Amino acid sequence: MRLVIALSVAALLAVFLLYTSVAGGTPSLQPSELKGRDGRVALSGEAIGPVTGNARGEGLRFRLRDVEGTASVPVVYTGSVPELFRPGRAVHLQGRLRNGTFVAVPDTLTTKCPSKYSPKRQS
Amino acid sequence: MPELGRAALVIALGLAVYGTIAGAYAASSRKRRLAESAQNALLAAFAATVVASAVLAAALVRNDFGFTYVADHTSRDLPLGYTLSAFWGGQEGSLLLWLLVLTGYASAAAAFGRRAGRDLVPWVVPILSGVCVFFAFLLVAVASPFATQPPPADGLGLNPSLQNPYMLIHPPLLYLGYVGLAVPWAFAMGALLARQSDERWIVATRRWTLSAWTFLGVGQLLGAHWAYEEVGWGGYYAWDPVENAALMPWLAATAFLHSVMIQEKRGMLRVWNMLLVVLAFCLSLFGTFLTRSGIVSSIHSFTQSSIGPWFVFAICVATAFSLALVLGRLPLLRTHTRLESLVSREATFLYNNLLLVALCLTVLWGVVFPIVSEAVRGEAVTVGPPYFNFFLRAFGLPLLLLMGIGPLIAWRRASLRALRRTFLVPLGAALAAGAVLLALGAGSSIPGVIGYTFAVFVLASISLEFVRGTQARRALGASSWLSAFGSLVARNRRRYGGYVVHAAIVLLAIGVVGSSAYQTVGERRLQPGETMRVGDYDLGYRSLVRRQGANATEVRALVDVRRGDRELGQIEAGKNSYPILGQQPQTTNEVAIRSDRLTGEDLFVIADQIDPGGAVYFKVLVKPLVNLIWLAGVVFVLGSLIALWPDAREQRRLAARLARVEATGARA
Repeated sequence: MRLVIALSVAALLAVFLLYTSVAGGTPSLQPSELKGRDGRVALSGEAIGPVTGNARGEGLRFRLRDVEGTASVPVVYTGSVPELFRPGRAVHLQGRLRNGTFVAVPDTLTTKCPSKYSPKRQS
Repeated sequence: MPELGRAALVIALGLAVYGTIAGAYAASSRKRRLAESAQNALLAAFAATVVASAVLAAALVRNDFGFTYVADHTSRDLPLGYTLSAFWGGQEGSLLLWLLVLTGYASAAAAFGRRAGRDLVPWVVPILSGVCVFFAFLLVAVASPFATQPPPADGLGLNPSLQNPYMLIHPPLLYLGYVGLAVPWAFAMGALLARQSDERWIVATRRWTLSAWTFLGVGQLLGAHWAYEEVGWGGYYAWDPVENAALMPWLAATAFLHSVMIQEKRGMLRVWNMLLVVLAFCLSLFGTFLTRSGIVSSIHSFTQSSIGPWFVFAICVATAFSLALVLGRLPLLRTHTRLESLVSREATFLYNNLLLVALCLTVLWGVVFPIVSEAVRGEAVTVGPPYFNFFLRAFGLPLLLLMGIGPLIAWRRASLRALRRTFLVPLGAALAAGAVLLALGAGSSIPGVIGYTFAVFVLASISLEFVRGTQARRALGASSWLSAFGSLVARNRRRYGGYVVHAAIVLLAIGVVGSSAYQTVGERRLQPGETMRVGDYDLGYRSLVRRQGANATEVRALVDVRRGDRELGQIEAGKNSYPILGQQPQTTNEVAIRSDRLTGEDLFVIADQIDPGGAVYFKVLVKPLVNLIWLAGVVFVLGSLIALWPDAREQRRLAARLARVEATGARA
């Protein structure tokens, strides 16, 4: 009997997982992999300046470049901007590519601290 | 000095290797003297780690920038408390803390674990020594905290958002929790190696598991409180991999704490308990790995380093060793009792376990999904908060309900008539509460209404348990209601401590439901003199002030708050700007939080963007009942303390029972 319960729960779980992993979930890409994509993706890379515009208005504009590479894409973003955001930082946001510009979903911008406790070593 | 630290670590490594090899040989060939020697080696390894830790702590306090670690994580102007917190701020220091806690726990567990039977501790010593070998090896060969360099004029300093009292206590608590889970695991494996099929290992480690679990729980809650007050995005948990890293072993340990009661009481679930304790320990290793390796991208992103592969290796070894051992001893773990009915106390424990483990594994799946999908499809796919929130509702709400059903249902087999009588009051209370809530307009969130209703049901059922127990004691001759209540709890600390913890979880659930399902958000750009309305709060932006703080430039928007026709005073939301030598200053968000003591509601004001002209873009959240989450933490600790408190009566009962088990074991 215990086995039956365990198996039924496991089966239920498997269905849930399959369902959500197929339907939900966002591909995580770098700017160089963005070409030809029109669905919603999570984009990560290094922010490069100049940063113009207003995140609480017509939108903040900057470029995002592969962390190890040269491919880059223009980004327009609205919403909350993390305090750590600035050119050179690794950032992460969600959105979709429209006419060559990555239009971010509002409030999805997050930055990665270079290190938990210390600024980057200048070595 | 660094030589002393390095030498101490090498000695600790040598002692741990000796403890593992000599201990294993002694245990398998039953050499008592050698086993004691291995145990002493473990204690000496602890002493050596204390020396190494003292060297590092002294270097931190003295600002000895000749230590690369000290220069990388502190600076001269850092207050002493935060300088010391840099001990666990970096990779090498936190590994050292792991080893320190582990060797300390291991020596204590071996010393106090004798009650579990003579043949168990000799096996526990080499197992825990083996884990020590891993960490000592990392510290000696891969990530030494005692690397040296020509001392620079000043260190690199500590990230301002971490210069905060929570960071003094939150990481060590998590470590005490993570590492503590090694003890029940080692005893479980020891029991298998010693071919003990009974529950002595569970009894011997009950307090270890409970305290590790409490540390882990409180550590996470403090982390959540830190995120809420300091990070300032208006939430307290974001399903980030590093947060999940601590949640998963906690969930596994919660399941374990419940299911061992079934083994103690009815001798069932032996294999399951073994698997749970293995899961909890391996997840605690995995959690350390996640936070330290940076394999899954996380906003926390600790220093990336070379220890990742070693951790993968260690997790694989620990998992393979444990599973092989459980499989090899399956005949020993065969149980003779069966579940008699699907409507019984045992069955509710079983459902609780399935749900907790299911929740734990879905979180694990969500955390590793980017890695798995990268390997399978060649493209990393992340699952975000919607995935986790869905499963939290799908498994968490039934769990909440079970907390109300479990305590009221009879062991072995419950009759329907008895059930109807028992559940009349809690069910009535829950339905009434649900109706009132719907009338009050809580129907805007269906999961919210369900959560609240279940919470009332559980609180009613817990109260009923306390009332019935107190009545019974009063009938037995307690002089007053108060003394009846006191002796009820004192005589059954485990049970009633557990109920108090349940009450804490209910408070937590109410707080989470209230602050997420019923939160109101408003955002607008205001010029000085303009107002905005969020929920039933009126906010008037008066002016912007700029002032010089101790080590930062502070900008604050002054906001007058009104609710209806009541003035609630002025709050300040803004930003701090910390200068960093040779770099752009780092800013931090300083949110304003106004808590209503009576209703537990928070008004949370973020000055999201401050324009040079004085206009401020405000983001305002009204979070009902959110303070119950922090209250839950206090109740949680209280309940755990009640359950942990030494109880002479319980000890006598256990001693008698163990003697009985030992006698039957000797006969068999």
